[in-house]
Amino acid sequence: MDKAKKSGDNGERVMMKTLPHSKDLQWPMLWWIGMEKLYRTLPWKKTAWTCAAFPIEIMWIYDIFPDHPENMATVAAARKQSLRMIEHAEGLGFSRDLCSYCKTNIGAYDTKIKKTIGGISKPDLVLCTNAICDTHWKWFQIMADKMDVPFFMLDIPKWVSGTDEKTLEGNIDYVAAQLNDLMVFIEKHTGKKMDENRMQKVLAKSMELTALWREIYEHRKAVPSPYSGAETSASFFPLVVLPGVQIGVNFFKKILADIKVLTAKGEGTMPQGKEKYRVMWEGIPFWYRMRFMYDLAQYGAVIAFEPYTFSFAPLKKKCATMQDTLRDVAKIIMDLPYAYNLERRIEHFEKWIDEYKLDGVILHENMSCRPSSAGMVDIKEAIMRDKGVPVLILQGDMNDPRTYSEEQMKTRVEAFIELMEANKK
Amino acid sequence: MKKLAYFDTAHEMPLEIVMAAGFTPYKILGDVHQSNDPADKYLSSFFCPAARSWLTEALAHSKEWAGIVFAQGCNNTNRHYDIWKLHVETPFLHWFGAPMLDGDAAKKYYRVELQRLISALEKKFAVKITPEKIKEAIGKSNALKKKLQSLSALRSQKDIPNSDYLAAIIKYLTEPADEVYAWLDSEIARWNSKPAFPSGKKRFLLTGSDVTYTGWMDTLDECGIRVVRDDLSVGERLFATLIPDRNDPLDALMEYYMGIPTPATRPTIQKRLDYLRKALRETKVDGVFSQNLKFCEPYAYDSVPVNNALKADGYQVIHLERDFSPAVDQQLTTRLMAFAEMMDGGK
Repeated sequence: MDKAKKSGDNGERVMMKTLPHSKDLQWPMLWWIGMEKLYRTLPWKKTAWTCAAFPIEIMWIYDIFPDHPENMATVAAARKQSLRMIEHAEGLGFSRDLCSYCKTNIGAYDTKIKKTIGGISKPDLVLCTNAICDTHWKWFQIMADKMDVPFFMLDIPKWVSGTDEKTLEGNIDYVAAQLNDLMVFIEKHTGKKMDENRMQKVLAKSMELTALWREIYEHRKAVPSPYSGAETSASFFPLVVLPGVQIGVNFFKKILADIKVLTAKGEGTMPQGKEKYRVMWEGIPFWYRMRFMYDLAQYGAVIAFEPYTFSFAPLKKKCATMQDTLRDVAKIIMDLPYAYNLERRIEHFEKWIDEYKLDGVILHENMSCRPSSAGMVDIKEAIMRDKGVPVLILQGDMNDPRTYSEEQMKTRVEAFIELMEANKK
Repeated sequence: MKKLAYFDTAHEMPLEIVMAAGFTPYKILGDVHQSNDPADKYLSSFFCPAARSWLTEALAHSKEWAGIVFAQGCNNTNRHYDIWKLHVETPFLHWFGAPMLDGDAAKKYYRVELQRLISALEKKFAVKITPEKIKEAIGKSNALKKKLQSLSALRSQKDIPNSDYLAAIIKYLTEPADEVYAWLDSEIARWNSKPAFPSGKKRFLLTGSDVTYTGWMDTLDECGIRVVRDDLSVGERLFATLIPDRNDPLDALMEYYMGIPTPATRPTIQKRLDYLRKALRETKVDGVFSQNLKFCEPYAYDSVPVNNALKADGYQVIHLERDFSPAVDQQLTTRLMAFAEMMDGGK
């Protein structure tokens, strides 16, 4: 999709508007980078690597800087460094079929590239969970062993299709017990103690952050779409590493205000009258090829909703006791939209198709994320049967550009656009 | 006795509960000779080909089974469960959430899951799974494990084709315990009467993804490789340890299943390495063969640190990725033969 095929009537490239405060994402990012420097300078401060679905708040509660190999892998891809990192890891023997985030991280760590292009340094602890995939714990354990750093893993039971409430309660008990173990582990390796006042403050900020993001998503239901996946894919960054601190809250408030102004005027991210198709994108984006989402605009298509970015803002509640808090966190970890079982995925996707008035769905069959890619044929068939909207399964990879074929993507997308057009008639 | 089938990427399924319920546990292993087309309607080609073959088998044969139990194992077991729930016809489909850890929280959870499995079987099949029945099943299970230990030990002493060993393991995993018990007696006698270990073969430890079809083991034999030890779940992991004797049979099962040699699907890599090193101390080998079934992620991750550690210990290690196919891969064969020849040259 290097050239627009169905651009504006006069053949000009359709330019998507970004929100006035989108550029303010730099402040949370700079704050986070600055904090890492501070935490690495002061000897009593600690840092840890962690992964998606891990309760980041616990790290801020214990005053541990959360570094995030996946996040840094996306930076490396966006800065066109991921292929070099992946090839480095493959040179060490890691198979081409393994997760490209993992291999990017291995390459970035070994080659010591700069933070600004995806680099990452040795932490004091490695904390992870298998909530989303086993890759997380295999990868993190390999790196913890390599760096000789203490390792902790939260084992999250699987919420398979048809799981009953009683089983869920047993699963929550198991995870809550491990959260207690996690606190013991952190206290042992950092010498820090749980401060319940600090915990309440961090959790309150985290709730505020996720509530703002969820409100933003309520406004994304507006037609035309005020805020596309092209923007949310970057701006959800505070949800990844900053739940519990103020700076992300400030940024989301500005974004929400911008969106409210736009929707009040009946305007969207696409130029007036250009939004033809509202699309849901399921899966992780092509980080090395974010232009893909802007290219869709040339066909009048906007990514109006993505379960992936929504996943990072689970509904959180204030709990009266520590044990209730741990049980709430345990349930949240098991209940992320990105990790929904097949029945729940179909149920929620169909709900979102209605709520976001979607004309089509793109499912990224991500060769680096088999758990996410399983069941896509069933999802496609169910949505087409129940909702009558076209579904495109696009095979690719989130961080490995070798899987991306420009012409094949273009052909598939154009056929999908034609199906959406025919479906509107 | 009717078969109750199970989906298990390692050795997580508490077989003794199934036996105590009056069923023959039947491990779904797929059929390498059947096309995966039926499963490929639902899963892309970059998913584990063995798991796709299991789905193909279930789509064709599920009506012959009393039901199916999934034991949590590798990365995608839960995703496969969801797909099977939609497409495989069975009167009983149960998820057994084997925990991956082995601390106190995991032990408590393991008991909850054992009890949930027992309750589900009792309710569906109107049976009573008493502690006495479980103890009886444990007794049978241990007796079989002891026989398999005897059989396995003969691999490094006698001329036992690789495929004979795998055939015995597959029989153990798919046929009634009493029949297998009697058969193992005759098989041990047959193996004992075999000539001594052939001088032209190299002794290897086989590690990595499971092998579920004998054709691949024949290929190894043809390359001069004789597998005398392994750490596979369709292999030594099944009988490396015995189920302990405890007052409460659920405690015994918990202790056993949480303490078996660690597969790549469970932490930690060090524990897996510890078992490999123990096996290598016990049995002299010429080399280690690390194999990875295409798209088998857990072993692919492990292969780098594990193989590097074994090489650092001084072992000759070859790592290969293989397809799930009955066809002999000539390129792999050539590499294996070259490796075996290289070992000769080194002497």
